[in-house]
Amino acid sequence: MFVCGYHFPASEGNNVSFDKVIEKVKEGIDATGKTVTLTSETREGAKLETLTVPEGTFAHTAFVDFYENTDVQAKDGYKMIYYTNKYQISEISKSVDGDATKDLCKKLDDMNLYRVKVA
Amino acid sequence: MSALRQIAFYGKGGIGKSTTSQNTLAAMCHYFGKKILIVGCDPKADSTRLILHEKAQSTIMQLASEAGTVEDLELEDVCKPGADEFHPDNNEITEGYIMCTESGGPEPGVGCAGRGVITAINFLEEEGAYDDDLDFVSYDVLGDVVCGGFAMPIREGKAQEIYIVMSGEMMAMYAANNISKGILKYANTGGVRLAGLICNARMTDKEYDLAKNLAEQIGTQMIHFVPRSNHVQRAELRRMTVVEFAPNSDQAMEYRELARKIIANDLKVIPTPLEMDDLENLLMEFGLEEEVEEDAIGKKAEDA
Repeated sequence: MFVCGYHFPASEGNNVSFDKVIEKVKEGIDATGKTVTLTSETREGAKLETLTVPEGTFAHTAFVDFYENTDVQAKDGYKMIYYTNKYQISEISKSVDGDATKDLCKKLDDMNLYRVKVA
Repeated sequence: MSALRQIAFYGKGGIGKSTTSQNTLAAMCHYFGKKILIVGCDPKADSTRLILHEKAQSTIMQLASEAGTVEDLELEDVCKPGADEFHPDNNEITEGYIMCTESGGPEPGVGCAGRGVITAINFLEEEGAYDDDLDFVSYDVLGDVVCGGFAMPIREGKAQEIYIVMSGEMMAMYAANNISKGILKYANTGGVRLAGLICNARMTDKEYDLAKNLAEQIGTQMIHFVPRSNHVQRAELRRMTVVEFAPNSDQAMEYRELARKIIANDLKVIPTPLEMDDLENLLMEFGLEEEVEEDAIGKKAEDA
């Protein structure tokens, strides 16, 4: 199955543990000192808000990983985040990052489109 | 050359099954160079119109009826190359191509859709449409009810890998569960497996959670959440797929990601469909239905 864009072999079943996903996401990624900025917009493209992802959290590493590894082309420095990925990142972050990303995850669970920039 | 994979998109009528399948198959061809044969098994015969840039393709059953019998047809009569970049002779954008055919169905109220489907598949096989160059054969099948007719690609062991297009709406989930029951029925005899749910989102609250939970409970994965986008409708009005209409759009990227996952997917399971009570509990848990007290069942609004 696929979580955060990564393929986990069928032998691991249809419910891959968060620990395995976190391990995969962190592999080869150094997110230290990087600033992760998200923007949200409606389906019609109306800009809503800009958010910063707290460093040291899984969400921070996962967005850095997405930004650095996705094939999505950047527009003005921002890359569109697949809906599936933002929901999966939020789900894991809620479980492991606790209060640090609680408000952020609540927003990520909505129906808006998010873009990410890493600097 | 890799082995031919026979996949099928099933789903409730009106869920966006043909749109999702064509856009995804177009992405498999456009971005990954895959060679594909589409066998439309929906009586609406709209499984290929975006690839062909046509209103609706003449179906095998229609043409057979005009010619006398299906034996009077030639493969070229019923199997058409996709338009522009999907044509086998056009290698500007991709080495891949898409061939298109529609089985067609009976007149409304008469006969069985399954007869058309199996006649079409047998004809295509006998005439050599499933050639060695192909990477995928894709069936597009209506699945409101998994009657013997619409289960034909599963029953006959043609489609081996099933993707169910659904959304977070009750009837779409009911149909997804029902289709899983159909797959379960033939899993041991024909080798068919459920390969994942595709959530063609209506953008309702908690839709991702609902789709993911249903997938987990029936033993599969929610392979991709496809958001709603105006690009899909705009492309459809031009009888095009999104990857041709707006190849750099966010929506085209979503279809590309789904295409990538289908190509790499190895999670193919015998599903474990839910009982109706469990399905209702799931819908209540995620707020699609409100739980009511036992004594309120069957009462009018003013009495409840």
